[in-house]
Amino acid sequence: MKIKAKLKKGVVEVKAMAKHEMMTYDIAEKKTGSRDNANFITHIDAKVGDKTVLDASTSQFLSKNPIFKFKFKADGFKKGDELVMTWVDLKGNTKTSKSKLK
Amino acid sequence: MQRRTFLSMAAGAFALAAVPASVRAEDFRKSKPTVWTAHTVEDAMKAMYGTTATVAEGVTVVAPDVASNGGAVPVDVKSDIDAKTVAIFQNVNPESAVIVYDLNEYSVIDFSLKMKMKGSGTITAVVEGKDGKLYSGSKTLDVALGGCEG
Repeated sequence: MKIKAKLKKGVVEVKAMAKHEMMTYDIAEKKTGSRDNANFITHIDAKVGDKTVLDASTSQFLSKNPIFKFKFKADGFKKGDELVMTWVDLKGNTKTSKSKLK
Repeated sequence: MQRRTFLSMAAGAFALAAVPASVRAEDFRKSKPTVWTAHTVEDAMKAMYGTTATVAEGVTVVAPDVASNGGAVPVDVKSDIDAKTVAIFQNVNPESAVIVYDLNEYSVIDFSLKMKMKGSGTITAVVEGKDGKLYSGSKTLDVALGGCEG
């Protein structure tokens, strides 16, 4: 996952791009002949230390290589703190990526 | 019921209520599976909130009037409401729920993403206020090339 996290005026702006096919049931059926081949990110979260700053449950309808842009209050966070993002997909694969708050 | 049993039940219930929201982080795909299989926006909302009643204010949905690529429609959702969750639905794909954000003490409601839309239709964002009310905003758009089929 490519993550950019910028702390400015008490708010952190994050732009993250996950690498994922996000194959819908319809596309799986059309391209592979089986809906069982569908796979897409179903949950993504972001933490700074033990504080959750993003928590989203997601569907097959996010675009391929989905982009997540979000903001959170920098209460108690500072530049150099680490943002850790994790996604989980339908088949149980998971990926964690980190980025420092800049 | 014995008084002791009642008291310990009440204590248990109170302990649950005292869990801070930031620890909760709910995975709605697990806790509310029927939200994700609902075809219509109304059914997804009933599964998510138990009601479809919303106040159509306080939520801004920004998307292009005409999306050239239905596979990647850029959507922004903003709101200043003090809220618990933000959900995005649309009425053209096989199921209507796109994403549900479970908010925390740090959340700012200013989310952007790119989503698939099978055709022209309406994107609706619902903000679940801490006041117990649902607020909504929507954007109707044309999609030049439908995006669910690759």
